[in-house]
Amino acid sequence: MPSRPLSFLPTWLRSARVLIGIAIVSAIALCAIFAPQIAPHDPNEQNLLSVFLPPVWMQGGDPAFLLGTDSLGRDVLSRLIFGARVAMLVAVLASFGAMIIGATLAYLAGYFGGRIDALIGRAVDVWMSFPPVILSLILMVGLGIGLRNVILAIVLVDWTRFCRVLRSEVLVIARKDYVAAAGLLGFSHWRTITSEIVPATIPLLITLMSLEMGVAVIVEALLSFIGFSVGAQTPAWGQMIADGRQYIYDSPWNLILPILAIFLAVFGFNILGDGLRRTLDVRVSAQRT
Amino acid sequence: MFATLLTLIGRRLLLSILILLLVSVLLFIVLRALPFDPAAMSLPPNATLAEIEAKRLEMGLNLPLPQQYLIWLSHVLHGDFGSSIQFRRGVLGLVTSTLPATIELAVLAMLIASALGLAGGLTLFHVRGTAKEPIMDLGTVVLLSLPEFLWALFLILVVGVALHWLPFTGRIDPNMRLPVTTGFLLIDSWIAGRPDIFKSAVEHLILPSLALGIAFSPAIMRVLRSSLIDVYQEDYIHLARLRGLGEKRILLRHALKNAALPTLSLMGVQFGFLFGGTLLVEVIFSYPGLGNLMVDAVRNADLPIIQAVGLTYCIVVLSINTVVDSLYLILNPKLRLR
Repeated sequence: MPSRPLSFLPTWLRSARVLIGIAIVSAIALCAIFAPQIAPHDPNEQNLLSVFLPPVWMQGGDPAFLLGTDSLGRDVLSRLIFGARVAMLVAVLASFGAMIIGATLAYLAGYFGGRIDALIGRAVDVWMSFPPVILSLILMVGLGIGLRNVILAIVLVDWTRFCRVLRSEVLVIARKDYVAAAGLLGFSHWRTITSEIVPATIPLLITLMSLEMGVAVIVEALLSFIGFSVGAQTPAWGQMIADGRQYIYDSPWNLILPILAIFLAVFGFNILGDGLRRTLDVRVSAQRT
Repeated sequence: MFATLLTLIGRRLLLSILILLLVSVLLFIVLRALPFDPAAMSLPPNATLAEIEAKRLEMGLNLPLPQQYLIWLSHVLHGDFGSSIQFRRGVLGLVTSTLPATIELAVLAMLIASALGLAGGLTLFHVRGTAKEPIMDLGTVVLLSLPEFLWALFLILVVGVALHWLPFTGRIDPNMRLPVTTGFLLIDSWIAGRPDIFKSAVEHLILPSLALGIAFSPAIMRVLRSSLIDVYQEDYIHLARLRGLGEKRILLRHALKNAALPTLSLMGVQFGFLFGGTLLVEVIFSYPGLGNLMVDAVRNADLPIIQAVGLTYCIVVLSINTVVDSLYLILNPKLRLR
């Protein structure tokens, strides 16, 4: 890393990408946590006398509504800030769930090999033959709409992303000498996996988590765009896009701003994941995750 | 040699069929876990309880699940996917009448994704080690962060609404009528000798396929770049340089051919995803394909359609993967001789 100004930081932080990623993600996380304190208005407060106000820098903008208002005169900035709650909640919970399932199966498959590996590999094949969007839609039919089921659907679709990448990594690690030594020392399978193999895969897991959070934000947005996620009372970016699309000629800003919000969040997670991949020196091609 | 190749491809095909069977089991289980009563839903709302019960018996809903699955499977194998609850017509007909639209969109998008992926991958490789590299690299992360449905909305805003350059709803101009021969508008309009309809169909295809193509190109760029970098470590590249070959010739004649294989196998996976990505793009562009049929069916809990369309998506994805894997076998001389 040529960036000497950052040399006081631990190695894995010493990258502009990681720092930019952390900055963006924590800004959004802060918005999510402190939404009621930061947001200038109640996100559901309607103001029918001032609908479709443009952002303040455009002609006709009102300083009381910095980013303008939507078709019901609700403050767009406040809705974006509150929308961060849904996005972050889904990002954290869904990627954590997907990691737990995917990683567990990957450790089992990579460590034991043989029939267990074949069985888990076949399951991954079956899952992979569904395009992710289609499988999540089908699961939503089975589970019913709502935020909790959106999270569950993402977990049930995306565990394969962790399983595939991690399995091949575990395969390599499980053949290493120190793992064989653990076996010779009489470590149980459980202890070998948890104390020898898992620690070696932590950098990869962190990288995959970061990338998966971006995917989860996208999937939540598209499910709430088609109306399968949160109810009408909870502001979510995908829903704002669906609203904005109906009034595309009245106010393009109602569509542009939530698009930017989703892009920013996903970009934050991706650039963080990309930076971590380099500084933690894990070999994942982003497209295979 | 051909025999071995055929065996390998045949084995790949068998595996796909096995996976498809497992997919159908999964689909059946998920959709049977539903809180709906398919019998009550397929009857008019004023049906009596006795009528519903009779329908349940007729539909075999009282049988054990494995037996229900086998009955469903044997119907499907005979081309009977049941009839739609909301449209009251055969599901197979609905699927076959919308599939060509989706295939048209997906194929064009794949061409765009491949062209952009090739151009971008070569550019990324070309700028390696220069001051432009970090900027272009950042560019690919930006591209990777924009999924197809955001591109779709963005293109509608800029090209459709602001510039008025291209239409962004439907497949053709609503005033145009064309007899259906193959269902592919680009082919049917030629058969009917209607260049005006052909032009309209192309114009309607540009924005949706561009949205999909752009969204799926950065992955291809990145893999092509890293495979090229790998290939350039090989001895034969140094040897080619020693033989005095020009850089351009080395890249296009020697390196690209070898870097193409890993890129190809990634493209199989990507095109599978791309085919699923048509769903949202279709919804956003009100494009009458499988995706709109599916979303409509999900909103109305029209189970026979959901089952059939879900299965269709999987069949297409598995076919894409099988074709790409077979191509990989055919093109890779290392695998061929085993």
